[in-house]
Amino acid sequence: MSDAILCPQVGQDLTEAKVVALHVKLGDTVKKGMIVAEVESEKATFEVEAFAAGVVIELPYQVGDTATVLEPLVVLGSDADAKPAAKKQAEALTKNGTGAKQHDVVAPARAAVNGQGRSSPLARRTAQNSGLEIDRIAGTGPDGAVVLRDVEALVAKSGKSAVASATGLNVKSLKDGKGTPVVFIHGFGAEIAAWRQIAMAIGLPNTLLAIDLPGHGASPDAAAPGFQCIVDAVESTLRSMGTEFHLVGHSLGAAIAIALSVQNGLTIKSLTLFAPAGLGTIVDGDFVAGFLAAKSEAALSAQMKKLVNDPADLPASMIKATQAAREAGPVAERQTKIAAGLFEGSTQLFSVRAELAKYPGPCRIVLGQRDGIISSSETNKKLSPGIAVHLLENAGHLPFLEEQGLSARLIAESVRSSG
Amino acid sequence: MREIMYRDALREAIDEEMARNSQVFIIGEGIAERGGSYKVTEGLLAKYGSKRVRDTPIAEAGMIGVGVGAAIAGGRPIVEILYVDFAMLGMDMIVNQAAKFRLMTGGNGRVPFVMRTQGGTGGGVAAQHSQSLEALFYAIPGLRVVMPSTPADAKGLLKYALRQDDPVMFLEHKHLYMTKGLVPDGEHIIEFGKGDIKREGKDVTIIAWSNMVHRALEAATELAKQGIEAEVIDPRTLVPLDKQMILKSVAKTKRVVIVQEACRRGGVASDIASIIQAEAFYELDAPVEIVAGLDIPVPFNLVLEKASVPQKDDVVAAARRSLHLDAYAQAAE
Repeated sequence: MSDAILCPQVGQDLTEAKVVALHVKLGDTVKKGMIVAEVESEKATFEVEAFAAGVVIELPYQVGDTATVLEPLVVLGSDADAKPAAKKQAEALTKNGTGAKQHDVVAPARAAVNGQGRSSPLARRTAQNSGLEIDRIAGTGPDGAVVLRDVEALVAKSGKSAVASATGLNVKSLKDGKGTPVVFIHGFGAEIAAWRQIAMAIGLPNTLLAIDLPGHGASPDAAAPGFQCIVDAVESTLRSMGTEFHLVGHSLGAAIAIALSVQNGLTIKSLTLFAPAGLGTIVDGDFVAGFLAAKSEAALSAQMKKLVNDPADLPASMIKATQAAREAGPVAERQTKIAAGLFEGSTQLFSVRAELAKYPGPCRIVLGQRDGIISSSETNKKLSPGIAVHLLENAGHLPFLEEQGLSARLIAESVRSSG
Repeated sequence: MREIMYRDALREAIDEEMARNSQVFIIGEGIAERGGSYKVTEGLLAKYGSKRVRDTPIAEAGMIGVGVGAAIAGGRPIVEILYVDFAMLGMDMIVNQAAKFRLMTGGNGRVPFVMRTQGGTGGGVAAQHSQSLEALFYAIPGLRVVMPSTPADAKGLLKYALRQDDPVMFLEHKHLYMTKGLVPDGEHIIEFGKGDIKREGKDVTIIAWSNMVHRALEAATELAKQGIEAEVIDPRTLVPLDKQMILKSVAKTKRVVIVQEACRRGGVASDIASIIQAEAFYELDAPVEIVAGLDIPVPFNLVLEKASVPQKDDVVAAARRSLHLDAYAQAAE
């Protein structure tokens, strides 16, 4: 389980705040009510209080950075999560003590200091390569020195490096837990980050994983054009991690989830589909073309606002991240090729209606009545009576962002309903 | 492959090289008629005659002098010294003559002198018969220092020693003569400077030579029961040293334990540790651990003798320290 302590709203209309102090380090235990950080707007300094207890597993910002308001400032994991592997190993060894005598071993001098700033050379190098600052990490080595396992535990926790997947699709853990994992599949043009906010709001004990589709986020390009190729890539990535999953998909990702739900060898325990593609024929071709062609932040902002009913629901960070990704690599070129295999003008070239009709498990579809990208009324036609449809009056194509609380509840209900 | 004893493997090497090269001969105390104190030279007198297999009086200085002189003159002598402790009588010939001759003659001279001897503790033979003195020879440029741990290594390295041109300190271990191991059939030669991975592992590297290889392997078995995979590497020759094998293993495991039977002070382990910290510092997740003999003359009393040199549990404890497990267990309590 993990929780995020968000950067507070520091004033009306202000979207950013400067981090002026961080009172916690990675690995520190935080108690409820503790002041963990201080942020500053143009007008005032705000103390950030921990509303939950846990162990610090991620610090997205450093002192001096500008943080986006209502984005995580400190991410907490539960104490049990903190260093389970190392703890277990240590326990096993304690039971198994050899009682060896101290031989003429020259033990390296262990200073009586409290370990401040001590770390192994390898831990320092690994932290540096992972973009972590060694002096912000709590150590479990001799006298509190930071050793490799401390850095590795954080790297695994913070999702700094990808979960191993045989096919090379990037998979990240949004939240560590137990039981059947819930896998989030984003829509066309998006990436794992789209799920970060809602993941924090979902009260499930399960592990929450998210996949970057081929040609999106940190995943490699699609091997070939067409819907099936994307489905195959996601399928083999899932197979490399297990056989049983709950799937949550948005738009194209929802269509992929449906296609996977009837694959032999995979057991999909539940489906929660936000604005699913592949159930109708219409897509806003102008949006797809305009979105892919947009280069400036202004053009992207104008296009991406079409995704939501109320433009205020679209996080500025999402636009910025999309633009940053495009500047960093050939994302738009790749996605243009992928789009050509999925859409022709304003027509969707793939359909998963037949697959959805066969799916025997619990399925929820969440539609925004003001969806300008696909047609919610077309999607809602002739669905099997076993499927729950939630029509959200004031939502557009991103109901999980626009109605985050309700969406989080619906995901949790789908997952729980299948046991 | 055949399973034979260390002493038989040594005999095979000498026998094969004597048959191959008539310049090879062996001298030592009781090695001809008696077949040697450790039965290494049994049968060689009958096969090669008393000119090439020759008993000597108890006079180590003289024996080593004969060997070095014969090597300079073109022979390929093997001088067997009963205990490495007694080689001290011939140190001038080894250190000032054999080790220096090649370079001091502008590279014209050769000293293919092989001194076979044995060291280490075993059976309570007390302070003057139990030392591990490899560090003395290790510190003298010009000498080769060989310390085989298995029958196969003993045979392959001794054959190589008898074909190369530099003075070789071939240091056997009194504990190992009766140990058995698989030795390849046919021609079996091991070049100097090529270490051997005696057991593969990923969590911690244990470097050991001679009899300590077996202690390290016992420790690795114990560690495996605790879920720790130790890699045991045996340099086989300390000079030249297979630095690449060591650095490669350190890069893999990130933690090192060096085990030597010799006393801790001024040992080869310290030198290997200094090489590792200089060349693989950023690979290390823990300080290099050295498990060594105590800085005392080896006691006569068997219990004290055992207490004076590394045992399996000492190696296990050092490996656990290098994995920070005990420190963590304490913190978790």
